[in-house]
Amino acid sequence: MFKNIFSGRKKFIYPIIGLIIFSLIPLFVHSPYYLDLFIMMIINAVLGMMFIMGLRVGLINMGIIAFWGIGAYASALLATKYNVNVWLCLPIAALITGIFALALGAILMRSQSSGLAFVMLSIVIGMVFNVAIGSLSFLGGWNGIPNIPPPNSIKLPFLAPIEFVSKVPFFYLGLLIFVIIILISYAFYASSIGRAWRAIGMSPRLAESTGVDLFKYKLLAFVLSASLCGLIGAFYAHYQAYLLPDYFSMWQNIYVQIYVILGGPAFAFLGPIVGAGVMTFFPEFIRNAREFAPVFTGAVLVLLIMFLPEGLLGLGRYRGNVTRGIAKLSSILERKARRA
Amino acid sequence: MILQVEELTKQFGGLVAVNGVSFNIAESEILGIIGPNGAGKTTLINLICGFFPATSGKIYFNGQDISRLKANRRAKLGIGRNFQSSTLFMPLPVIENVFTGYHLAYKTNIWARLLRLRSARDEENALRQKGAELLDRMGLGAIKNELTMNLPHGHQRILSICIALASNPKLLLLDEPVTGMNQNEIETMLTLIREIRNSGVTITMVEHNMGAVMSLCDRIIVLNYGKKIAEGLPKEIQENEEVIEAYLGKE
Repeated sequence: MFKNIFSGRKKFIYPIIGLIIFSLIPLFVHSPYYLDLFIMMIINAVLGMMFIMGLRVGLINMGIIAFWGIGAYASALLATKYNVNVWLCLPIAALITGIFALALGAILMRSQSSGLAFVMLSIVIGMVFNVAIGSLSFLGGWNGIPNIPPPNSIKLPFLAPIEFVSKVPFFYLGLLIFVIIILISYAFYASSIGRAWRAIGMSPRLAESTGVDLFKYKLLAFVLSASLCGLIGAFYAHYQAYLLPDYFSMWQNIYVQIYVILGGPAFAFLGPIVGAGVMTFFPEFIRNAREFAPVFTGAVLVLLIMFLPEGLLGLGRYRGNVTRGIAKLSSILERKARRA
Repeated sequence: MILQVEELTKQFGGLVAVNGVSFNIAESEILGIIGPNGAGKTTLINLICGFFPATSGKIYFNGQDISRLKANRRAKLGIGRNFQSSTLFMPLPVIENVFTGYHLAYKTNIWARLLRLRSARDEENALRQKGAELLDRMGLGAIKNELTMNLPHGHQRILSICIALASNPKLLLLDEPVTGMNQNEIETMLTLIREIRNSGVTITMVEHNMGAVMSLCDRIIVLNYGKKIAEGLPKEIQENEEVIEAYLGKE
């Protein structure tokens, strides 16, 4: 019976099993500290995924944290200053981020001649963002925005209402947004739009000659990735309850690249999950030497680019080669032993 | 006349790559463009397909002025092209290359495609099927699941034309279709080009291989230093003094 249900849809089994296992985590992990790390891992994974969406069309977006920040600040401002219902703040924040991205992208995407201009301009956005936020007093300046309310409690019939007071409901809300973002991204990747994106990333000239509007499709990838960053940013704001400009520094952008490169840029969903998983928990495992964590991170990045440009998941492709190599090595050793 | 080119000029800084070239292409003919290296042939192809705008001059496609249109708009109107170097979707299988080329063929609503409704999935399967048939016709049916980067040069060149045909062009621009091929591959390619023409597609080709050009083309244009120096039937071109001079130099 299961065979009938899943025939032809095999590729969805593993993600669903993974999701079920992940959603069971709060049953075993009670420490708020570790739950916080899992929630941060979800957020980081989304940022990595959105970086990859830009990468699909050849855009190296070094300012992705800025859009995350726009979503966070938009949602925080709406909730604290205008008392908008937090459940409404989340989609509105995504929309506002999308409008910002549309305005910026329409300018950035004009530099079609090479990807370098876009990279440089996005670095500028990434570097200027937290300085700009810090110097705007209506955004709280360098003191940030305190007392951001959590989402209103959800009243369910016959059950206790879900109050957003502990980490557990936030974990599930984060997971829900995470799944929604993956479903939206997947819908785009699997459609003709995703194929046009892939074509642009592999060869812009060839894509254009088959009728793909480079400007429109690149802009779409840029705006969609930015607004989904904004959505997870809005969640982050209400989860943290406090925003500081320092959360959105250029360093965070570098970390997003590391999640992507570590997991493997070719793996649009699993790559950032693995990369963000490793990089979120890694500093905790070397807690005694935390000051040196950035040094380790830098070394890891250099080694990855040198020896593992396809990321950890890229290792799967070489599995055949490794076993063949071991078989060959053992046969050589055997022959030598026999001769001796 | 499917295409009219009037006084087309392209300047790159101080270099005039194409200088006041005018010519017409008649429906379902094969027009050859020849000339010594650096004569501006590939630039001319790039101007017609719209990769960069002309400095001056006009291009009319089926009577419509397309001089200011971007390449994707021209592809939509029916101008397709292949590529000289190995410009293909290298990491993808052969069939996926052609399938990606059907960008303009989608008729279903964008929301149906995003939500993967039955109509959109059926359309995708139909296009994949169409792609497989196209590959069969072009003789690549047996290798449609191979990775493109593993194909020999000759097959890659044919695949490049297959991708161009996927956008259903009325005018196909071929940039050196037989360069770097052996005699067998050239024969196959010439047969394919004739078949494409017989299916109703007008063809313009830039080529260095004189044998191929002379046997295939109905009419030939000769460029030298960006200027058109001769136009005529293959036989006339072969006997033209100025053309011989451009290729071999003055006595």
